[in-house]
Amino acid sequence: MSKSINLTLKVWRQKNAKSKGQFETYLAENVDSDCSFLEMLDVVNEDLNKAGKDPIAFDHDCREGICGACGAVVNGQVHGPQRKTTLCQLHMRQFSDGDTIVIEPYRSRAFPVIKDLAVDRTAFDRIIQAGGYVSVKTGQAPDAHSILVPKTNADLAMDAAQCIGCGACVAACPNASAMLFVSAKVSHFALLPQGQLERKERVKRMVAQMDKEGFGNCSNEYECEAACPKGISVSNIARMNRDYMGVGS
Amino acid sequence: MAGYFSSSLGRKQVVAITGLLLILFLIMHLSGNLLLYKGPDAFNAYAEFLDHLGMIKLLARVGLVLLFVTHIVFTALLVIDNRKARGQEGYAVNRAVGKRSFATRLMPYTGTLVLVYLIFHLLDYTLADHHSAKSIVDGVNLGLYGLVYNSFRSPVRVAFYVAGMFGIGFHLIHAVQSVVQTFGFNHPTATPVIRRLSTLIGVAIAVGFASIPFYLFLCGGARACSVSCLF
Repeated sequence: MSKSINLTLKVWRQKNAKSKGQFETYLAENVDSDCSFLEMLDVVNEDLNKAGKDPIAFDHDCREGICGACGAVVNGQVHGPQRKTTLCQLHMRQFSDGDTIVIEPYRSRAFPVIKDLAVDRTAFDRIIQAGGYVSVKTGQAPDAHSILVPKTNADLAMDAAQCIGCGACVAACPNASAMLFVSAKVSHFALLPQGQLERKERVKRMVAQMDKEGFGNCSNEYECEAACPKGISVSNIARMNRDYMGVGS
Repeated sequence: MAGYFSSSLGRKQVVAITGLLLILFLIMHLSGNLLLYKGPDAFNAYAEFLDHLGMIKLLARVGLVLLFVTHIVFTALLVIDNRKARGQEGYAVNRAVGKRSFATRLMPYTGTLVLVYLIFHLLDYTLADHHSAKSIVDGVNLGLYGLVYNSFRSPVRVAFYVAGMFGIGFHLIHAVQSVVQTFGFNHPTATPVIRRLSTLIGVAIAVGFASIPFYLFLCGGARACSVSCLF
């Protein structure tokens, strides 16, 4: 049964990429516990609009937990307190009446803040552009059946392909490293026959782009895996490490 | 290959391989040290055996210095990157949600502690005169054994050496499983075992080394119960 709760929000407000931000406190009153976190922010924004104030900017798109657009750090945890859940799929019933919620944008040099909670994640796009694709001809749909894929590999590739590129791994990593994301994309192809031809070249180019974007280095702390809304495993990072061995300049 | 050594993954792998070799050295070092329990003759014979290796010993020493320096320099490069990567503004609230262990959080501190420890350790024994007055126990010059024995009369040194071994232990608890992951091995059933094994190796090496100053300090007071008579 839904109930109504009152919350205090401490939200990071930053006018634009160049300006200095600060926390602002808002009261969110009579929040329906069945609404999602983003819907709660919508309600707060309506009030801000009515008061003639600038609404809180945050990223969102599908609101079904499958697109990877949303994401913020809620009380020190990326996508909030519920595991394997994107921010849009987090519901207010996870909070109690009277709670104070601190909402911050992802913090990473490679993901600069655009405004408030919205960050620029085009660094991920550039990593994909560097090699996250298959450029060899793989034939028509029926040809997919002509090359057998072992069930284990098919499953692991599907697991890796679940990555929605939300950037939670970067936000949660103590070193702001993007290795979980990159390794998921590398593994997705490395596990399938169609990805073999460009396997070495792909990992080399994607890692080079990742380094260029200014992400940190993995120190095997495994915070990314815990924060990932899709449960991407750090075994993908091991696979990327293995594929990278002996890769020249 | 220049690209490999300046890349994030390449540098990590350099830290991992040098770390692994250093762990192997530690195991060898510990096996030698445990001869202290057998008494002055066994321990000094081992020390002399090493002294007479000549060129091999020199090469081993140069190799070790290179391993240490490479391990530290490449780690420093990674840490500098990591510090920058968070950006200017950090988190106001930060709560780890994963399996980030105590040992993992302590890595930069345990690493530094080990480095400081190592400097004192080299000055204490490796670079010290093994046959000076400091080696005399009850009027007999017991060589390196005597030097070690006498040095652990001081509770301050005992405490410092035990602290240094705590540093090594915690460092290895994270390091062993980390090496395996960085070399690209991760398996649903083997990895949890490796992580536990990592803890075991860290604890075993630390306890093994730390037991020696404890033993010499506690038993050394009463020469009657001294080492050799136990065996």
